Amino acid sequence: MKLFWLEIFKTFSRWRTYIGFGFIALVVILTEVVMKWSTNEIMFRMMRSLQKDFLIFGNLLNGWFVTAFIMNSLHFHIPFLITLVAGDIVSSEATSGTVRLLLIRPPSRSKIITAKYLASLFYTAAIVLFLAFMCIFLGLALFGSGDLIMNFATRFRIVFIPEAEIPVRMLLAFAAAIWSMTVVTSIAFLFSTLAENSIGPIIGTMAVVVVFFVLGNFPFDFFRTLNPYLFTTYMSFWQRFLDDPIPWQEIARSAVILGLHNIGLFLIAFVAYSRKDIKS
Amino acid sequence: MGDSPDKEVVLRTNGLSKKFGRRWAAKDLNLEVHRGDVFCFLGPNGAGKSTTIRMILTLLMPTAGSIEMFGMNLHKKRSAVLSKVCGIVEKPDFYLYLSAYKNLKILGSMTRRIEKREITEALEVVGLKARAFEKVKTYSHGMKQRLGIAQALLTGPELIILDEPTAGLDPQGTKEVRELIRKLSRDREMTVFLSSHLLSEVELVATRMAVINRGELIAQGSVSDLLGKEVTGYSIDVSPLDQAVELVGKLPWVEVLSAQNGKMEVHIEPGHSSELNRFLVTHHIEVSSFSPHRTLEDFFLKITEGTSEI
Repeated sequence: MKLFWLEIFKTFSRWRTYIGFGFIALVVILTEVVMKWSTNEIMFRMMRSLQKDFLIFGNLLNGWFVTAFIMNSLHFHIPFLITLVAGDIVSSEATSGTVRLLLIRPPSRSKIITAKYLASLFYTAAIVLFLAFMCIFLGLALFGSGDLIMNFATRFRIVFIPEAEIPVRMLLAFAAAIWSMTVVTSIAFLFSTLAENSIGPIIGTMAVVVVFFVLGNFPFDFFRTLNPYLFTTYMSFWQRFLDDPIPWQEIARSAVILGLHNIGLFLIAFVAYSRKDIKS
Repeated sequence: MGDSPDKEVVLRTNGLSKKFGRRWAAKDLNLEVHRGDVFCFLGPNGAGKSTTIRMILTLLMPTAGSIEMFGMNLHKKRSAVLSKVCGIVEKPDFYLYLSAYKNLKILGSMTRRIEKREITEALEVVGLKARAFEKVKTYSHGMKQRLGIAQALLTGPELIILDEPTAGLDPQGTKEVRELIRKLSRDREMTVFLSSHLLSEVELVATRMAVINRGELIAQGSVSDLLGKEVTGYSIDVSPLDQAVELVGKLPWVEVLSAQNGKMEVHIEPGHSSELNRFLVTHHIEVSSFSPHRTLEDFFLKITEGTSEI
């Protein structure tokens, strides 16, 4: 635990750690303010397709809807912010030369690498929770509360979630989002243990995420057969907590597959780093 | 001779070897460092000094051989061994975004619980107490080197390993670090293992030494045994230089190696050094200094030719 807290202290002593928090605050504030200004336009677009078949009353563009809307950006900016820290946490010690001070101490490499991995996971959770905090509180303050309407376009379904159920479902959705993002953390962390600089792991991780995401979204049969083998397929399982009924089996399957990715990636990082010759 | 066989061995390597690709960076090294030694690991750049130190500090895995410290196998009892050891490998690098105090707190805490007083004391020993709370990125190279020694001292190690501790320092910084090393050995009774490519450094600080070249151990023993024999190279400050060179050139037992800036580098046959001094003075040559001069190259040459009794 001591090593973990030392890693947390080092991580949060660097200004680059706060880039992510600053970026999220900026994106959420800008998005929500713009949405507030464009309420009528958004409502018109939302209602245009729904009003043909439904009679809708109440505040549809509420804080919960805005939160779910912004959460969809998880695939893009959150992975990048995570790699800034997870891709740097081991490699930066090699770049700066501090690895030579760190690894000659009594704690074993396995303990040090585990502490660094846990610190990366902590940061990942912190950044997603910060996103949740910003989205929900600012959203509720600007747009108020209400029932949540989710349009699962790819599944040709529209789901209405009563206001009373939303806090618990959001909590579960953000927990799942953290779990999804830990795979990005694990990839960046693995690259970080293999590299001697921070740029490689950051670019490498983003390349993997983007390529997998693109492969998984090509509308051709061949690429659809690849989907079960792409971790990105399972990363949006947080959305399933906003479905009705909640598909628990599908959620559990996604969570297990992502967890196995985490275990595998960490084990590779662990073994590689434990045997690595420090020449820098 | 002078191998202090009665003293406890704190570090012993048995057939220690490291291969990078097809090249042996260190081959079959059998080193022995005794308690209280200031042990200098001497060799030219690329000889394998840093590789050996990195193996001793577990940064590199040996290809063959073993390392024992304080009677324990390093790789079997790593944590117990390294709690008694500290070191600096190559240049001391710290977390530049943190203060010296915070750096020591983090690094020291990895060994044991560290009190504020201990950090302050360590910084005081190396003369950095006044700048303890400044970020390390504002420190000069010499200050970082001293901070490196402070972090090595912090946990009260029994053995300190320093890889070229005076490399890149200005003359004043070099002097301070050497004095610090002597002080650690004398006042705190620490065993110091340091590497260097400077023969003069060995003479100034070390009690025992080992010589390595191309990854192989050439010699090991006390400094007095290895360096104390037959100095033949001298550096002489004379005036006027041209006249001195002309006069000395006539002597059959002296060879002038170089002459510039009022200084002559000469090679004198054993037993003639005081005679040369007298000769210069009686010929009205002003001699302002007359000092033995040994280069690492000379030393290696002597050892490899077997002209020195080792």
